[in-house]
Amino acid sequence: MSDSSDSPVSRRKFLKTVSQGAAAVATAGVAGGAMHAAATKPAADAGKKNNKVQYGMLIDLRRCIGCQACTVACKAEADVPMGVSRSWVEYVEKGRYPNAGRSFLPRLCNHCSEPHCVRVCPTGATYERPQDGLIVIDQGVCIGCLYCAHACPYDMRFLNPVTRFADKCDMCIHRVSKGLVPSCVNTCQGRARIFGDVNDPNSEIHKLIARNPVSVIRETYGTQPNVYYIGLDTTDENTKKPGQYVRVTTNKANSPKRT
Amino acid sequence: MEQHLMWNWPMIVYLFLAGLGAGALAVSGIVVLWGPAGEFRHRAALIARLGAFIGPLPVIIGTGLLIYELGRPFRALNLFTSNFWFLALNPSPMNWGSWFILLFCVFATVYALTFIPWRTLLGGERGERLEARSERWRAPMATICVPLAIAMAIYTAILLAAVPARPLWHTPVLWLLFTVSAISTGLSAIILVQRFMFRKPGAVRGAVRREDPAFRVTEYYLVSMKVLLIIAELVVIGLFFMFAHMTINSANFAVQTLLPGGEMATTFWVGVILVGLLMPAFIEGFYLLRTAVLGHEFEWPYVINVSAPIAILFGGLMLRYVIVVGGQITGPIGI
Repeated sequence: MSDSSDSPVSRRKFLKTVSQGAAAVATAGVAGGAMHAAATKPAADAGKKNNKVQYGMLIDLRRCIGCQACTVACKAEADVPMGVSRSWVEYVEKGRYPNAGRSFLPRLCNHCSEPHCVRVCPTGATYERPQDGLIVIDQGVCIGCLYCAHACPYDMRFLNPVTRFADKCDMCIHRVSKGLVPSCVNTCQGRARIFGDVNDPNSEIHKLIARNPVSVIRETYGTQPNVYYIGLDTTDENTKKPGQYVRVTTNKANSPKRT
Repeated sequence: MEQHLMWNWPMIVYLFLAGLGAGALAVSGIVVLWGPAGEFRHRAALIARLGAFIGPLPVIIGTGLLIYELGRPFRALNLFTSNFWFLALNPSPMNWGSWFILLFCVFATVYALTFIPWRTLLGGERGERLEARSERWRAPMATICVPLAIAMAIYTAILLAAVPARPLWHTPVLWLLFTVSAISTGLSAIILVQRFMFRKPGAVRGAVRREDPAFRVTEYYLVSMKVLLIIAELVVIGLFFMFAHMTINSANFAVQTLLPGGEMATTFWVGVILVGLLMPAFIEGFYLLRTAVLGHEFEWPYVINVSAPIAILFGGLMLRYVIVVGGQITGPIGI
């Protein structure tokens, strides 16, 4: 995908030189310095914000075969107890024979940029990590009230029956902080999952998001999710047309229906 | 119910008890601050005393239930200790609520202490001194307790309404519904206790006699107030449905569980509307109208006398049950 063969250093140097030259030309050439500064200020701020590392995931649903290998890998990696799930793959069946189809929707914590769960946490136990933008739970502070579980529009949070604290997908922070990819990405058979820094213009995930039509789930909640999908089908049992056949199997132990 | 409930009966009972305690305390404080004088003085003092004694107890029991549900009693202290300044700037409704509960329990208990009849209890100089001190502190404590009680009643609804992912809860009418229900159940609890106290004809409690004309007139006004609160609650429930119906998304879908054919419909229409609101409204309304229109004495059979407030209390509990469970079995539509 990425042009890993050519040297990134030389390219970065080249880009730097070009941009510096462009900036110099711009400041020298444009009259009315104050106006120019006002015009460039928002752009400068946006650039600053983009410098922040924000890990995210892109799931190419055209490549997903619904094998649940990610579900199993997550269960094993995070030692998730029986009866609850951090990550799962939903099966969406629709239509009638011969015009019928089945699509897959892998689900995991969206690590939103505007997370409702963090807003409602009464102890500050769940927070956004400043270094990589992942939403994590401090198990030493959490009281297990599950307010965050109600606030999450994606039904990602649950009460861990062993620890009795809130729990959810943490994008394998123990792996990603050592430079590895999350376990579900590592195991994905069709390479449908791409993990990386969404804000880094050189990352594969950034390029793929820029090039492809991507969508996020439940965008109307304004949570700004960082898990993107290519080829997302938003068909749901609740929104189907009269006479249309839709069946959603969540493959999730504690909620067979989507909530 | 195939869906897994994350907030279960301790939360439902807590919301009901917190509303009940807050309502009883609010009624008591309002009677102390703006209560009647003259021949109704003793009667008002009794209502204020009952409300003050009822106030803190349900809230303490309800909070105990919540802590029991958490499973780790001392972990709950994290609500007050962890990240204090961060949470002061980014408050979560539950964090506010925990401070409200703490302040409520402290002030309501102090307020209740000012109603203990120290003179008859201790006697002598010490009793006199405590009695005088109690009377001096009663009104200032009521001034603190009334807003605190109303804040407490509103918080129980804001706690639920703050989460957009639960469309049944995320409505701007919920605080009104819970506050009216809280005051209604609080008043009913006071009326219920004093109906037990004055069960026998000729019963005397302190300076209040059942045969006094003031007793009957006060009873008449209290019951009128209760019927008005029931009507207000029906109006707010109407608004609740209207808000959901005006929208074309998840809220409309969520409210279908309460409408006929929905999963919670029977519980809601029988438990909340019929038993909790319409039945007491008709029973009490009948005796009120008999007095107001035909000029009969305001008197009724004991069984009905006691069953109406019990029905209102039951309706308050069922309302919390329907809202808490209904909110959890529904969710956002679409993906």
